[in-house]
Amino acid sequence: MKKFVVISALIITAWLMPLYSWAQDKISVAVAANFISAFKEMAADFEAKTKIKVDGTFSSSGNLYGQIINGAPYDLFLSADEERPAKLKKDSLADTPFIYARGQAVLWSAKKDFCQVKSWLDALKNEKIKKLSIANTQTAPYGTAAKKALEKVALWNALQEKLVIAQTVAQSFQYASTGSVDAGFCAMSATLSPEGKKGCFFVIHEAPEIMQAACILKRTANRAAVEKFVEYLSLPAAKEIKRNHGYH
Amino acid sequence: MDYLALYITLKLALVTTAFLLILAAPVAYFLAFTRFWGKSFVEALIYLPMALPPTVMGFYLIIIMGPKGWLGGIWGALTGGSLLFTFLGITIASIVYSIPFAVQPMKAAFLKIDRRLLENAYILGLSKRAAFFRVIIPNSVSGIVASAVLVFLHSIGAFGVLLMVGGSIPGVTRVASIAIYEAVEMMNYEAAGLIALSFIPISYFFLILINKLHEVSFR
Repeated sequence: MKKFVVISALIITAWLMPLYSWAQDKISVAVAANFISAFKEMAADFEAKTKIKVDGTFSSSGNLYGQIINGAPYDLFLSADEERPAKLKKDSLADTPFIYARGQAVLWSAKKDFCQVKSWLDALKNEKIKKLSIANTQTAPYGTAAKKALEKVALWNALQEKLVIAQTVAQSFQYASTGSVDAGFCAMSATLSPEGKKGCFFVIHEAPEIMQAACILKRTANRAAVEKFVEYLSLPAAKEIKRNHGYH
Repeated sequence: MDYLALYITLKLALVTTAFLLILAAPVAYFLAFTRFWGKSFVEALIYLPMALPPTVMGFYLIIIMGPKGWLGGIWGALTGGSLLFTFLGITIASIVYSIPFAVQPMKAAFLKIDRRLLENAYILGLSKRAAFFRVIIPNSVSGIVASAVLVFLHSIGAFGVLLMVGGSIPGVTRVASIAIYEAVEMMNYEAAGLIALSFIPISYFFLILINKLHEVSFR
């Protein structure tokens, strides 16, 4: 009995213990993996200016979309494509989407001599390239874009055995930067990170420009704060951060 | 360092352990002291979560707890919310995931109790319930603590199931193991290293505890 009392007391304490203040305004944002570093910088800047805390959950757009369909409690969705926010709007789970960033797919390598040829196509022809990472072509829009480019130049089938599938575009970059693969299809934003600057990259002009759309989710409990953050996304301060991270 | 994720992990492990101890005791009792047709099938079913890949567990939990699943449906009708991506959701997942680790040591401890002790208790007029609380439980403390420690350790290590059921929502369902994974993915090795390092003393301490308990129970 005594044990029971002790355990119950522990449960109650654990449930009630608030680690951070509840009074503070807070919004929860689902963020596509390519946008992590830009998002973090903007969230910190926004928080300093408005005292509204912005929490991010990072994954591939497809994964986050699945979570939202299943009732995940996000207030805002920063996707890496236009289709998924549009689908959410159609299912009346979200407000009308808007474009918050335009991104570009690149081929990045940690080895500088990888880029001493004319184009990414020549680079791929190099016999020494054994493994290439690409983000999941179904759930990660940057993976989809890279696949489209490879199909356009008729290399998709030929490269199958060399491709290593990453869950997100951030993971694809991680594989390349740790040298697990020789090069990886990444987002332009990754090449501008401190780690990214150590390597070299080719812009993949064959890949479609990536239109990244966002939407406010209808289930949000803190609409005023979310709208403020959405407004912030198009302010000069935010635009500056986006530009620094390779978006336009 | 991501204290919030560590806090969620410890809170989840604590709540899971507490609930499972209460839940597993009667189950272990029935497995240890009763005989019925098909018992081995029931027992195997209880241990199934140990034998299944976490993603298989995660898949079925998503189906059951999702808005269209029976549990998620009932919950939705009652509260209007979703069970997935909530702390309650990952608590349920964590409990199901650790059931075998709670039941097994407890059942073993119950089986080791001297039957004559129990028979004496019944002869002296104790009801089955009274005997459970006053003879069985006090005589299997080491087994119960072993259950608690195993469940606790198993819970702090859970990853795949929680990621599938809970997503990774800061302060709600982002546990330390997921925070480590994400930090590595973002190549924030310093953050990953700090959380990872904090696991070592916790796990080490509990392993020593469990070894001590084994020594005591075999003496």
